[in-house]
Amino acid sequence: MTSLRAATCCAALMAGAAFAQPAAAQTSLTVAWYGGNWGEAFRACVAEPFTKATGIKVVPEIGTSTVTLAKLQQQKAAPTIDVAWMDGGISELAQAAGVTGAIDPQAVPNLAKVSPEAVYKADGAVFAVGTGYYSLGLTYNTQKVKTPPTSWNDLWNPEFAGAVTIPSPANSSGVPFILFLNKIWGNPANDLSKTFAKLKTLDTALYFDSSGAASNAYQSGEAIIGAHFSVGAWDLADKGLPIGFAVPKEGVWATDARLHLVKGTPRAAEAARFIDTALTPQASACLAEKLYLGPSVQGVSVAPDIERKLPWGVGGSVRNLQLFNWADINRDRGAITDAWNRELARQ
Amino acid sequence: MTAALTGDPATVPAAAPPTALRRALPLLAAPVAFFVAFFAVPMVVVLSSSLMAGGAPSLANYARVLLDQYHWDVLAVTFRIAALTTLAVTLLGYPLAYYLVRVVSSNALRRGCVILLLLPLFTSNIVRSFGWMILLGRNGLVNDTLVGIGLLERPIRFLGTETGIVIGLVYILLPFIVLAVGNALATVDPTLEEASADLGSSPFTTFWTVTFPLCLPGLIAGVIMVFTLAASAYVTPALLSGGKITVFPMLIFQQYSTVFDVHYGGALSITLLVFTLVLVALAGRIGNGGGNRS
Repeated sequence: MTSLRAATCCAALMAGAAFAQPAAAQTSLTVAWYGGNWGEAFRACVAEPFTKATGIKVVPEIGTSTVTLAKLQQQKAAPTIDVAWMDGGISELAQAAGVTGAIDPQAVPNLAKVSPEAVYKADGAVFAVGTGYYSLGLTYNTQKVKTPPTSWNDLWNPEFAGAVTIPSPANSSGVPFILFLNKIWGNPANDLSKTFAKLKTLDTALYFDSSGAASNAYQSGEAIIGAHFSVGAWDLADKGLPIGFAVPKEGVWATDARLHLVKGTPRAAEAARFIDTALTPQASACLAEKLYLGPSVQGVSVAPDIERKLPWGVGGSVRNLQLFNWADINRDRGAITDAWNRELARQ
Repeated sequence: MTAALTGDPATVPAAAPPTALRRALPLLAAPVAFFVAFFAVPMVVVLSSSLMAGGAPSLANYARVLLDQYHWDVLAVTFRIAALTTLAVTLLGYPLAYYLVRVVSSNALRRGCVILLLLPLFTSNIVRSFGWMILLGRNGLVNDTLVGIGLLERPIRFLGTETGIVIGLVYILLPFIVLAVGNALATVDPTLEEASADLGSSPFTTFWTVTFPLCLPGLIAGVIMVFTLAASAYVTPALLSGGKITVFPMLIFQQYSTVFDVHYGGALSITLLVFTLVLVALAGRIGNGGGNRS
């Protein structure tokens, strides 16, 4: 039964690859993406142009990356989601869970325009493609912090005591941020004890576990300096709050929002076409304008005011981002979370 | 209902006639199906995953939880916060319930008060906890006021302290104890109190020897509800702790949502459940004692 279904799926995939044409104007495509301004941007930049070009309706399935992965695992036998956006980290877990299908470069010609760093392969097949980078940089209150910070070590400035925030391991950036600090401080990769000892001396207001909690803390003045996602920090600044975002000299840790073709979807050809639409320079530029995502498509140019808000800062590029190997992070996740609980999350 | 909660054997029918039982079965089918699907099955899934390690049945996850001082420390923090919350809620809720039932004479006013008391329950826990984050913050209303009227020189830290978590939980759980105690108070026969007064007892002695023992089962039911809800609360501690205090439910959430270790997470869940049940059973015994005294 399962093998029969798998065979049918393979046949469908191959057929899809051979005739990459919209099957019928009436079909609809279910795409999993995130809520809030992210979902809005994906709809405006990718889904609407796709529907305009193909006549295929896009049905959004809203959820965070983790929730989407859980849904994909439940519907493994008969998927109803055709395409899914998931963040770096969860993307690798999805691949390991066997819910991602291969993205065929023949069916997705725009894949050739994507920077090689954003094309993720396992066993020789492409399982995910990045649609834009975001980073975790230094975020600060421009009224309370007079000199813009230039280094992560500025967080230890006694002036900011009790008003600093950094992510907790419950946040997707929490564990990689610790590994990032460990790296920039030149501590040995296999021994985090010095990094934890230094973090213990940081006088924080809170460790945030959701991006919303971080935004809330900066907004209320609970935190005046710390780490935050580029997307969230610029969103606050655009709302007129005195918030600045800086890329310190040590660099920033970054990851990306990636597209996946769901394994076994009966609408593989349409799904491939959708992914192709997301990888056009227009879609990439549109996501940069709306979310300040660093384009993964090569040669995309954006207005100067947008460019300074990209995750790598002024004059940077994807090469300035510290992109960690998520396989390593996921392997150590349990141990690092445990160490964090014992060292920092108690009085 | 309160007797059933505290397990009072005297009020539970020992053996219902078979025909009555047969007639009740179709009525019971829906709640039983619901209970099985949404409580028993998930519970069995959690329990069985907690008993697996490395693909084989094993108690290793429980050893990892119970043989580590860290987990006992977190458990102590969790139950300390729950106990403090229960104490504060009782001290605030009992007089409030007494006032509503015995002192407020107008029915309309009483109804208005109960609506005010229940109104916050219509808002999501997350929104209410975010509200407290803003109120209790360094530049929040509470600190601004205390500094403004000169009671404090500089803001005190509420967020990231056990006090902050307790404040948030007390606010959320207060209605439960008021309703439980209020219900019990309303059913106390006033003639018993009059008899006590006629026999020369002072109002305090009457309250302490007649009213209070009669309401004790209601109070115990409320205390149990509040304690279990406080011990298992996730959202309020997670937001108000600022990640600087860990309670058991936060450890469980971490394992399920970010570490994806359902085996260890399952063992943590069952551990919290067992300890809470033990404490609740102890409270139930006290409740029984109080009931018998009457």
